[in-house]
Amino acid sequence: MCFFFVEHKNKEPRHKRRLLLPGFHGCRESSNQRRPAPCCSCHTAIAICFIADCTSSSLQKMAPDDVNRRSAFRIFHRFPVRLTFGAKSEAKTVTQSKKRQQRENEADDLKRLAERTDILECAWHRRNDDVDEEDLEENLAETEAKNEPNVDIYGDVGSRADNEFEQIGGSTVIMVYICWVMLFVFAYVRDIFRRLGFVADKSNKELEKLKSFVPLFSDFEAFYQRNCYIRVRDVFERPICSVPGATVDLLDRVSHDGNWTYEYPGTTSKVINIASYNYLGFAQAAGPCATASVNSIDEEGVACCTTVHERGRSVSQAKLEALVAEFLGVEDAICFSMGFATNSMNAPCLVDKHSLIISDQYNHASLILGCRLSGASTKVFKHNDMGSLEKILRDAIAYGNPKTHRPYKKILIIVEGIYSMEGSICNLPGIIALKKKYKAYLYLDEAHSIGAMGKTGKGIVEYWSCDPKDVDILMGTFTKSFGSAGGYIAGSKKTIDHLRVASPTGYYSSPMSPPIAQQIYSSMSIIMGRDGTTDGAERIERLARNSRYFRLRLKQMGFIVYGSNDSPVVPMLIYFPSMCGFYGREMLKRKVGTVVVSFPATDMTEGRVRFCISAAHTKELLDEVLRHVGELGERSGSKFSRKAHLYRDQKIEW
Amino acid sequence: MVLAVLSGLFETSLLHLTIEGVLLLTVVYLVFRMNRPNKDRSSHRLTEKQKDELIAEWVPDPLVPETPQDHHVLNPRFADGKMTKNVSIEGQTYLNMASSNFLSFIGESRIEERTKQTIFKYGVGSCGPRGFYGTVDVHLDLEAELAKFLHCEEAVLYSYGFATVSSAIPAYAKKGDIIFADEGVNFAIQKGLQASRSRVEFFKHNDMEDLERILKIQEEKDNKDPKKAAKIRRFLVVEGLYVNTADLCPLPKIIEFNGSTRSVCSSTKAGLLESLERQEERNEGALVVWRLFGILKSLTFPFKMKRGIECERKMIHR
Repeated sequence: MCFFFVEHKNKEPRHKRRLLLPGFHGCRESSNQRRPAPCCSCHTAIAICFIADCTSSSLQKMAPDDVNRRSAFRIFHRFPVRLTFGAKSEAKTVTQSKKRQQRENEADDLKRLAERTDILECAWHRRNDDVDEEDLEENLAETEAKNEPNVDIYGDVGSRADNEFEQIGGSTVIMVYICWVMLFVFAYVRDIFRRLGFVADKSNKELEKLKSFVPLFSDFEAFYQRNCYIRVRDVFERPICSVPGATVDLLDRVSHDGNWTYEYPGTTSKVINIASYNYLGFAQAAGPCATASVNSIDEEGVACCTTVHERGRSVSQAKLEALVAEFLGVEDAICFSMGFATNSMNAPCLVDKHSLIISDQYNHASLILGCRLSGASTKVFKHNDMGSLEKILRDAIAYGNPKTHRPYKKILIIVEGIYSMEGSICNLPGIIALKKKYKAYLYLDEAHSIGAMGKTGKGIVEYWSCDPKDVDILMGTFTKSFGSAGGYIAGSKKTIDHLRVASPTGYYSSPMSPPIAQQIYSSMSIIMGRDGTTDGAERIERLARNSRYFRLRLKQMGFIVYGSNDSPVVPMLIYFPSMCGFYGREMLKRKVGTVVVSFPATDMTEGRVRFCISAAHTKELLDEVLRHVGELGERSGSKFSRKAHLYRDQKIEW
Repeated sequence: MVLAVLSGLFETSLLHLTIEGVLLLTVVYLVFRMNRPNKDRSSHRLTEKQKDELIAEWVPDPLVPETPQDHHVLNPRFADGKMTKNVSIEGQTYLNMASSNFLSFIGESRIEERTKQTIFKYGVGSCGPRGFYGTVDVHLDLEAELAKFLHCEEAVLYSYGFATVSSAIPAYAKKGDIIFADEGVNFAIQKGLQASRSRVEFFKHNDMEDLERILKIQEEKDNKDPKKAAKIRRFLVVEGLYVNTADLCPLPKIIEFNGSTRSVCSSTKAGLLESLERQEERNEGALVVWRLFGILKSLTFPFKMKRGIECERKMIHR
């Protein structure tokens, strides 16, 4: 397994420094009331609620017997004196022995199940135990034989980099919790002071005329927003004013009232951009892509002003759909104007209330919203855990829907290619094996991996040398690697035809804007080498080198980095919520733009800095970022890893 | 003190002690009984072998049903060039009465020039969500201009018209709240209502008496349980110009009801409904979530295309 439990060493003096985070400064008087705007973090919080809901409901579904046990009448079943009389003793011994036998059988079965499950813990989990992997490797060998060159920039398919989730000691976790408790204690104190009128209340609140209404924001979310998020608001939502390439111009802003309002002096500062999802560096304001999209405005205008069904897609969108299908090696594809809506609006077209969705623990909010809107039962399996997935699949087929006691009509497994917060790569061969065995359908969200992974940029399917036809729904977005906007769904012609007709976005929303579609078309052509250069292949290779180099260097310095070494999403764990503000601000001072994430987007104890590597970064830029991160790591004591010695003597080449 | 308790014990009658003892024992017995695993459970459980059999028997439905190949959506005819007042399809020119280019901004060269300049400055995509380096200065400018245009305190941009209302409703209305909605609201709003997990009460399309009726029913419920009522948020969801039925909502009447309800008013064709907007402003209680769907048509494409927004801004003030 890939979990490492690390002994904790005495680090208290360092952590104590970090505890003093909330202060009282920055709450001066102002009567400026703000209208509540549903910002990004609100949505994240909502998403978290969804996840929590799904999880709790799934737990209930998974243990129907426990629910029975809690029923009010259970006492009557357990009276020591039974109301039936007669020769019972004989029957009792028979049933007892039967039961014992049954239990033994069950234990045996479980053991066998466990063994069988291990087969599916694919190559990269148990690289050295080849005994159980024969089947899988045979399969892989077959596919490799078909696609001749089996070694690419990531190495051999059979020995892909595994996902690492190095765990820290329990006492550090306790320190993180203490940090949160301190944060909330001070937040409450602030709230009390605010209510007493010692400091100005600048938070979102009701207008005078709405006093009689039930307050719109009174719950924990608003409390968190008002007292915790606002303390570090300057780290998020930084406006940019240039193309988000390898470097980006940030619009300078200052706040004189504790981040409630900002003033823009009009100056800008250039920082290294290691935060945007510009994996292949196609966010460019010049060059063939930009020119082509500008030209498409002359041909087709900036918008279509119609819905897809009323007056049809734009010509450029139709061209794009054909290219996407060809790129991915499937029969057909359909494109949508927004990546988020691709998930949330199309999942309901595929499953209904008689179906079951099995969703990964860390799936994106859009997928979870899609699950909710579809009305299907949802169960959640542990992140990338094939054993957990198989158990849920078996139980779901065997027991059916616990509410209606009918078998499910279909089962849809929803996973992502690269998980955007964990940096981990999904175990696609294992999932495909399970999917085939249990006749389930597979929905693969390649939002981050399309373009960025695989030898020719065809995403996680190519990375694992799987057959794209084994995945029923291939979904992806154009926001990331292609430097544009929108999303696609690709698959068999039958599936796509159904979506074309049934998807609500066809009836009610506008088709892709021509210049947006053109940008994707141009960048995808470059990746495919249609422009006659090797620019696309070079970008992919540079990204792979950059990611591996950056990740290994971070690990060598002693940071905990989650995920696979091949993934361009690099979450570096800093655990403490107070460190998020520290890293965000200090990195900006050193002219590096990074993303810091904490609760509610991640687990409470797992605050992190997320780097997104791009093909546009040069080795010099990465070295500069690494130097700054290393210095900050020294200053803040956030080099938590106990595995740095493994990398000490390793020579890391770019 | 312990002594006092002990001596007290001896003073009480034996009967009393016995009854209490028996009660105590019963409680202990029941508690331990409850924690014991339920023996009946094994009979509900299937063995792995039984499961295997069931799995072998199970035949799932196909993922999608068959689609008739002659469906008009599968055989589209593409318009060449821009969708202006005339549109050319397969070489023939037609008068365009189909697209919602109300204010005829498509093909406006001033807008297109500005758009091109913006692409050459910012590129096409923002490569990030709003929170993480995806906010461009143009967004902030447009938000400020929109707020001014709509006479609101602040405005927020979404990248997709369809997703705006369906994610704005669940951002405000939570579980346990009540939404009063018109029957005729469009699909995006219905999805938003579904995602909000609130209790949704539909009233007949544009029928104010029906709305009054369901508000009265709710009032009666509130009177029965005022404590609970004080925690329930209420929302009223109507559409400015109904896209399904093409009629306007009787906003002045709705505002009269607004004493107890927040109204989330989604106006599809806001640019055409200026008079309606003005009425709405007077209703300070209303929480207005504008769907930026058709104010000026250059907005119909995702706002991540910053350039559209910039020219948009220019146009408003001309």
